[in-house]
Amino acid sequence: MSDVRLETDIAVIGGGLVGAAIAYGLAREGRAVRVLDEGDVALRASRANFALVWVQSKGLGMPEYAAWTRASAAAWPALAAALREDTGIDVGLSQPGGFTLALSEAEMQRRMEMTRLLHNQPDMVKYDYEILDHAQTSKRLPAIGRDVVGSIYCPLDGHVNSLRLFRCLHQAIKRYGVGYHPNCAVETITPIAQGFALEGSFGELRAGKLVLAAGLDNARLAPMVDLEAPVVPSKGQIIVTEKVAPFLTYPMHTLRQTDEGGVMIGDSQEDHGFDTAVTTAVISVMAQRAVRMFPLLAKLNVVRTWSALRVMSPDGFPIYAQSRIHPGAFLATCHSGVTLAANHALTLAPAIARGGLPRGTSSFTSERFHVPTLA
Amino acid sequence: MKTIAAIEAFADRYDLAIVGAGPAGLAAASLAVAHGVDVVVLDENASPGGQIYRAVTSTPMTRREILGEDYWRGVELVQEFSGSASSYAPSTTVWNVARGLDGDSLGRDFEIGVSLRGKARLLRAKEVILATGAQERPFPIPGWTLPGVMTAGAAQIALKSSGLVPDGHLVLAGTGPLLYLVAAQLIEAGASIRALLDTTPRANWMSALTATPGFLASPYLAKGLALLRMVHRRLDVVGGITALRAEGQKRLNRVAFERAGRRTELDCDLLLLHQGIVPSINLSNAIGCAHDWDDVQLAFRPQVDAWFASTVQGVAIAGDSAGIAGGESAAARGRIAALGAAFRLERIGAGQRDRDAAPLRAELALLARGRRFLDVFHRPAKAFRVPSDDATLVCRCEEVSAKTIRETVMLGACGPNQMKAFTRCGMGPCQGRLCGLTVTEMITDARAVSPAEVGYYRLRPPVKPVTLAEIAALPQTADAEKAVAR
Repeated sequence: MSDVRLETDIAVIGGGLVGAAIAYGLAREGRAVRVLDEGDVALRASRANFALVWVQSKGLGMPEYAAWTRASAAAWPALAAALREDTGIDVGLSQPGGFTLALSEAEMQRRMEMTRLLHNQPDMVKYDYEILDHAQTSKRLPAIGRDVVGSIYCPLDGHVNSLRLFRCLHQAIKRYGVGYHPNCAVETITPIAQGFALEGSFGELRAGKLVLAAGLDNARLAPMVDLEAPVVPSKGQIIVTEKVAPFLTYPMHTLRQTDEGGVMIGDSQEDHGFDTAVTTAVISVMAQRAVRMFPLLAKLNVVRTWSALRVMSPDGFPIYAQSRIHPGAFLATCHSGVTLAANHALTLAPAIARGGLPRGTSSFTSERFHVPTLA
Repeated sequence: MKTIAAIEAFADRYDLAIVGAGPAGLAAASLAVAHGVDVVVLDENASPGGQIYRAVTSTPMTRREILGEDYWRGVELVQEFSGSASSYAPSTTVWNVARGLDGDSLGRDFEIGVSLRGKARLLRAKEVILATGAQERPFPIPGWTLPGVMTAGAAQIALKSSGLVPDGHLVLAGTGPLLYLVAAQLIEAGASIRALLDTTPRANWMSALTATPGFLASPYLAKGLALLRMVHRRLDVVGGITALRAEGQKRLNRVAFERAGRRTELDCDLLLLHQGIVPSINLSNAIGCAHDWDDVQLAFRPQVDAWFASTVQGVAIAGDSAGIAGGESAAARGRIAALGAAFRLERIGAGQRDRDAAPLRAELALLARGRRFLDVFHRPAKAFRVPSDDATLVCRCEEVSAKTIRETVMLGACGPNQMKAFTRCGMGPCQGRLCGLTVTEMITDARAVSPAEVGYYRLRPPVKPVTLAEIAALPQTADAEKAVAR
């Protein structure tokens, strides 16, 4: 696409997991969609996600988020089936339940307390979880080390092959005729009579509706349509080992074996601005904890380390909003693009196609950041 | 020379860390030490010499004519280094070189992750010279992953370090000076070679001669001609090969090739492939040095200045890893890089640095004459760089085919890093060494843009294997603990 003027029903800015899932949902509703994306080198949180479809531990401080997450996990089998039908690709969804392992009594107490607080919230969605000691944990996870003092198990948790999901979503949108345009960074958005004019070095694209799914770049783009996305980078580092025979069917929130055999170790969180350097000290702590959890990992070679930037809102919860001043301009931003992919494709996108946001998402607008805290 | 045999024997900190003990690294170390620089040479091989002078002090191939006079030139470099006060860590892998971040305890020092006998450690150095040399260009033909197919370079390593002469019937195929050198060495060593299939495009003769009339005065000419004559006299050399295919069920049985539109088959037990060498850039890429596309050598090479300093301050890159120029140039480049480092470390002044560099630069200029002829003449054909056969594997580690790569470009993966996320290519243990250039060139071809625009994989540590246990035993900080155990 170069220096041409194009038109479409709906433009999605961002071709990562969030943008691609929304584009997929919109295309399934029969809308003409174009996705504008940056090039080969961009921040791209999608390249470093941990591939969890994760429910436990989410929503402390916002029970609506716990419900939204739970609903997405429940909708995931439908998404996986739809994708398989559209592309023939199995994204490897597995939802056997997941564990959070504790390596000290203090950690265990902290996890238990957080879980108690989470579930004691008014209007909290109800779901099961179990608190297990070492012996109970090792019955289900025989490979754990002596240092594991206990765990929290939630039967709703799972994981997918996230790179396959990424490819699969792109293959699916292509099949529905969605135009995907890499190397088309959007510089300006101008509200016009019948929608929006998007401009960049690629030329101009006019769209009736607009979805901002540009990750950290949403912070820059949102004000152009009177929306607000106060998102900042949160650095996460990941270790990937060589492939080994399957030993772990359950995902942990910091460790999982992929369906290809490699073991992913992750979930560090640092605020270092836009720096994405891998740092040995953090990688070392992650490696040490992983080996204490599963001693058999010690001898595995590390194939890759990686770091990327999560898209973090002030309270850590997603933002979904439609511009009041420029209706038709939508914003979607979160740091759980895999877990929420099912909701984004099957719930959010159909609502956007109809011109609104789904029921039960009114608390996700950025207006929540301006409500004065009551004493 | 002080040999380091255990991880505990390293000092915490050095003035200069040199990665690689080939001609560039050895020459750089000897010269830097002579100027009072505290040097450690880190090398993954068991003995000094690098690829070109591999095992030059320990090879069982002691009949000098087998490996040739150029090889034995390495003895002098090794002897000079052995007599120096440099620290030398053989069998040591460097899996990371990282610059200190603003405000952390490293200051301006580099942190170097090394591993020796199953134990890892972080060293510090003020300056780093990467002398990681070259690697063979990927040669993705149908069947190149079959057992019985290997690179000519790998066969040469076996010959030099263990005196291993391959059994059975051999075929060599490809282009480049090293292919003919290995052929000559294998002939001398008594291997049974059925043929050498030369894939050098016929048109290269003309373009090379027009590009570099100066080649007639080059030192490479006489040497090259003697080698060619020897190989042609003793081998069946078949030129003008336009297609190659390694065939066999579980392992290689034969090689099929096309010449002037005719297909021929040759039974063989071992096929040695080679189409030139390219700079080994994994470490410089992971450090964040800027790289340029070299359209003659068809490879990325790091940007370096007159002192072989890269775009990352404190990191110099010498030898073939800064662009292919050969073993003799590598030593001169190493010495120039060492002078640059000694100057930055304030061991010598600018006057001495420039004076000492002058004869080295003259030597480099002499060695560069005719080099361009070799580059243009041995430029491998597109058919052997951008596989047209759909089933040919591009990424061996993750088994990604040429078809998948092409389809994924159509899906919108516009560069190698998106390609990685879409297909997993380049994500295996080889860290893209065997597919990186192929993937860049395939995307270039499909998108009709330049390789410079397409770019290369962004690599991350570890650039060499290291175990989780080794990493787990490294020093940690309270901040790091807080970032993980929340």
